[in-house]
Amino acid sequence: MADPALATRAVDEQPPRPGDQHWYDLPDDDAEPEEEPEPVVPAPRREWRPEWRSGVGRLVHRWSAVALLLALWEALPRLGVVDRVFVPPLSDDLAAGYDLLVTGQLGEHLGASLLRSLAGFALAVALAIPLGLAIGRYRPVADFLSPVLELFRNTSAVALLPVFTLLLGIGETTKITFVLYACSWPILLNTISGVRTVEPLLVKSARSMGLGPARLFQKVILPAAVPAIFTGVRLAGAYSILVLLFAEMVGAKAGLGYLIQASQSSFRIHDMYAGIIAISAVGLTFNQLLVIVERRFSTWRTSS
Amino acid sequence: MTLAPGRADTKISIRGVTKTFQARGAGRPFTALDRIDLDIRGGEFLTLVGPSGCGKSTLLDLVAGLTTPTSGQIVIDGTPVTGPGLDRGIVFQQYALFPWRTAAGNVEFGLEAKGVARRERAELARHHLALVGLTGFEDRYPHELSGGMRQRVAIARSLAFDPDVLLMDEPFAALDAQTRESLQEELLRIWERTGKTIVFITHGIDEAVYLGQRVAVMTSRPGRIKEVVAVAFDSREGDLRADRRFGEYRHHIWTTLRDEVAAARREEATPVG
Repeated sequence: MADPALATRAVDEQPPRPGDQHWYDLPDDDAEPEEEPEPVVPAPRREWRPEWRSGVGRLVHRWSAVALLLALWEALPRLGVVDRVFVPPLSDDLAAGYDLLVTGQLGEHLGASLLRSLAGFALAVALAIPLGLAIGRYRPVADFLSPVLELFRNTSAVALLPVFTLLLGIGETTKITFVLYACSWPILLNTISGVRTVEPLLVKSARSMGLGPARLFQKVILPAAVPAIFTGVRLAGAYSILVLLFAEMVGAKAGLGYLIQASQSSFRIHDMYAGIIAISAVGLTFNQLLVIVERRFSTWRTSS
Repeated sequence: MTLAPGRADTKISIRGVTKTFQARGAGRPFTALDRIDLDIRGGEFLTLVGPSGCGKSTLLDLVAGLTTPTSGQIVIDGTPVTGPGLDRGIVFQQYALFPWRTAAGNVEFGLEAKGVARRERAELARHHLALVGLTGFEDRYPHELSGGMRQRVAIARSLAFDPDVLLMDEPFAALDAQTRESLQEELLRIWERTGKTIVFITHGIDEAVYLGQRVAVMTSRPGRIKEVVAVAFDSREGDLRADRRFGEYRHHIWTTLRDEVAAARREEATPVG
């Protein structure tokens, strides 16, 4: 009974997955010839060079807004439009960041944060994917676990942090468990819906070739679910840093969250901004890495 | 076997096959197929034509062993069908290619299920892609291919594991007219070369007459075989569609089906109590 709700929620949270579209119904099947004419002659693969060049053009275009924001950050405090004390110019913040880097403080905090998020994230991947596959595949497992999952899914991880702290103390275990908890949901829900939304015709086709349940799962359902699983993993990657930061701000002696919080309360505003810049750099890098891994595993999705 | 086929060269024997479905919420079960009797000879090209909803695909699923008949029996080479198997290959209208596999990977799928060694698989995939005119496209993914090419891959996939019977469920319905015609010609060529028994479902009368040695005409609600028309041309060479007898067969089946469609409409208009 809780399943449909669970599935709908999962859909709400994510960008369109290949399961939503039918790769059979691409333009050339239907009446849209102007969009993609039938390639009668073997069309050569798209040239690498022009694609790369237009890619650069797009990159410049996309980053111009970021450049503008950074320019404003530098200019507005200098022009006195905003208070320099609260928002120091970007160059000052970067200089402070450089000092932190040289003294080794930044590395120490960064290392502490990364260790926690990666540990929690890796555990979530290791636990939530198999669990999601089992729930998506086996009705009885789903019926049994769905209500509990629905309950916990709607309980904010942040609300549970005090509970984790009570049970596990204020050490590393708490923070890693906290990240694990928060990261599990997107992976779990996307895996479940990935398994459930496998095109029935593919299953039928494989069955007609005599595949039993185990081979069917290995050769059809699992590969078909990979893109959805990766969507979940990528979301989890972002969550792992977001929630950890919160945990570190509440109670920690190291980590970027601690650095930001401690700098603010001791009025080292430059350091605070340096910490913020560091955390967004970490987030961007992590996300990009996951995107690269995702591409590697799903080349068959529409090439873009 | 108790249900011995009537003729020595009978490949598929469909005997009194009925299939009913329990419609959701409705009291009376819906009869999709009603006492179907049909014998298909080995190496025959049989087309099955009928209005939509007459149970053509249901019949194909039964022969494929994907579902079981409510009553009656289907016997292939003297053995009753109990489930799917690699002695039958299916080609679906919507191709059903695995999008994460290349053309060659798709063709190899059935071979993997059959337990063919890797090297031999690659060889067979190349051979069968060549058979459907797709040499040079082995490494393309389905989304990089046109509809017609995808269907060629699907046909190659079904031929590769060397089934005796090819079951085709409106395979060319989603293609444009030109692609369809060229694929029809190629299918005939492949059939002549490989000697497969082909059961081909279509709702196109022209297609049924053009391809089939016999055309089974189905009625709807409940699905029954109304007539089996033997299509005999002196020669299949040249423009068959311009042949006078092509027109006669076509017209005969059209008239039969028109009455059927009219009957189905009347049925639809009267609310089922």
